[in-house]
Amino acid sequence: MDQEKVIEIKNLTKMYGNHVGVKNLSLTVDKGEIMGFLGPNGAGKTTTIRSCLALLAKTAGEITIFGLDSHRDAVAIRKKTGYLPGDFGLIPSVKVRSYLKYLLSLHGCSSTKKMVSLAERLQLDLNRKTNELSKGNKLKVGIVQSLMPDEDLIIMDEPSGLDPLMQQEFYRILRQEKKHGKTVFMSSHNLAEVESVCDRVAIIRKGQLIVVENIEVLQKKTGKVLEVEFRDHFNIDEFKFKGVSNIRQDNSGLILTIHENLDNVIKALSNHQILNMNLKTYSLKQLFLKYYAEGKVDERGGA
Amino acid sequence: MFGRIAFMELKTGWKGLLIFGLLVLVISAGIPLIFPTYRNSLIEELEGASKVHLELPNEQGGMITLSWETVETATSYMVLEDNRSSMVTAKLKYMGNETSITFEKDFEEKRYYAVMAVLNETSDPVLVGITATEKGEDPFQELLKNPAYAGLTGGRSISMLEVKGFVALEYYSWSWMLTGLFIAYLSVSIIASDFENKRMDVMFSAPISRRRYLLEKFTAMSFIALFIVLVQIAGLTWGLASINALNEFSANAVLLSLIGSLPLLMVTAAVGIATAVLFQKVRTGMGITFAFVFAEFFLYTFGGFSKSLEFMKTISIFKYWDYFSVIVDDLFKAGDFLVLTLVVIVLIVTTIRVFEKKDIPT
Repeated sequence: MDQEKVIEIKNLTKMYGNHVGVKNLSLTVDKGEIMGFLGPNGAGKTTTIRSCLALLAKTAGEITIFGLDSHRDAVAIRKKTGYLPGDFGLIPSVKVRSYLKYLLSLHGCSSTKKMVSLAERLQLDLNRKTNELSKGNKLKVGIVQSLMPDEDLIIMDEPSGLDPLMQQEFYRILRQEKKHGKTVFMSSHNLAEVESVCDRVAIIRKGQLIVVENIEVLQKKTGKVLEVEFRDHFNIDEFKFKGVSNIRQDNSGLILTIHENLDNVIKALSNHQILNMNLKTYSLKQLFLKYYAEGKVDERGGA
Repeated sequence: MFGRIAFMELKTGWKGLLIFGLLVLVISAGIPLIFPTYRNSLIEELEGASKVHLELPNEQGGMITLSWETVETATSYMVLEDNRSSMVTAKLKYMGNETSITFEKDFEEKRYYAVMAVLNETSDPVLVGITATEKGEDPFQELLKNPAYAGLTGGRSISMLEVKGFVALEYYSWSWMLTGLFIAYLSVSIIASDFENKRMDVMFSAPISRRRYLLEKFTAMSFIALFIVLVQIAGLTWGLASINALNEFSANAVLLSLIGSLPLLMVTAAVGIATAVLFQKVRTGMGITFAFVFAEFFLYTFGGFSKSLEFMKTISIFKYWDYFSVIVDDLFKAGDFLVLTLVVIVLIVTTIRVFEKKDIPT
């Protein structure tokens, strides 16, 4: 059975004069998932997100959120969406509590229970004035304001920059939101963050989608890297099996990528004296770089 | 609920508004207080004319005799001649110890003569009196015949010896600069600063439309403009009451004359909001809005210079705030009020349409 789609982007194109922001991008975000959106600066992540929220006018294409047109029904969509912008300012010289209550009132909410709870979890002092906040605390205000209206969809543009402990707490909050049936669509530079919390990831380059994949499947596709250091001599041909690629010798060691048949490699290794061995899962960063190096743009438009 | 954004705007800006309100109050109340002193000095100046006597010949080419009363401490006298009452292009006609001079009338147009007494070498000469070859009104009435002033008064005869004339020319004729430019500054900055300080994304993450956002900002500006006008009314009424001159104005004249400026301020606010939406920069928006206000004022002034330039007045917003009509003629022009209100509506609706289609920059 098809998953219920919360965000559905079809052939989105956004031009800034002659410059391409996003070109023919198609992507869906399913209900209840945390979707990561990766790409370098200028790749089109923010353009895509801001087009979804009707902050930018589309050049072409169609975006529906909760089945509603992103531009025509922008207000109705935002009634069910929390949004953390990538770069944002606060009204100066007001208390954080007063500012957040103001934003809550714009959402038509009067209960401050979730606001207070989130602030406590992120250790945000609600009595500080907005112009006295550090960059990290400003980000906390942004995170709280995006989550406090308790909407069904949470869109976050680069929510990284908290200290490590707070960042972990933030991931826990996101996972809890997911448990409560919320859908999260977040762009990030922080690959570990995406690995840590996302179910799927979309990689974008130069305004075009390269791949959309479940993270585990993606890692399986690209394999695991095995680095072995030998005490004795070895022959590189001993390790040429089906499902093994990128075999190369490095001084006294061997580096290879295993997609399947790990057993065969282990058996071959048992004939040697091993000094050191390291089996690594491809980090998302390596995946990211790998896709960039290969330039595998998914011409079908991703998902 | 509609009003949250407007309320927040007023809440965060109330200190600045209060300070500006106090300034407006002091000026509005203070200017009438100057009037008695000003009137006395003007009367004194006009009385000076009786100390100078002019005997004119019956025919062209005859002799003119100009004489004046002796000033005891004078060491000599100067006579200045000009064809303008302001004497700004005066030439020295005579310098010496005599208290009477005779010269040929070799001109046709009106001439003014100012007699000055030189007391000593270190102090400036003092005015003995001014006279003219034709009898006329007081020097300020003469000055008002200048097309620039006539444009301001709508061609009405305004006496500076009356509190109405004084307040009209010394308060109403420039107070727009104080209030109008403040409104221009605020209306641009309440929107352009949201762009510049990247507050738009958070604002539009809430379920509010761009139309509501602009209307709320405009509502905040309307409250601010109304507050300023009410402070002006209170200040001017207070000042006039302090010199017991309130009874010289008809009932509600102060109120209606200043309420009439409200749509003028709202047009300024609407232009400020439009430029903020179009250019999204405080400085650019403010420069354009200030230029608009001054351009409108100059259109109105130049439009009064001649009949052929009158069309310039028609397209000036200042034509539609006729405070002289209320103060002098007791006539509040509701039609003018409606014209400006219509301009405001057109400007705001157009701005909303433009804003709904524009990208919000990051």
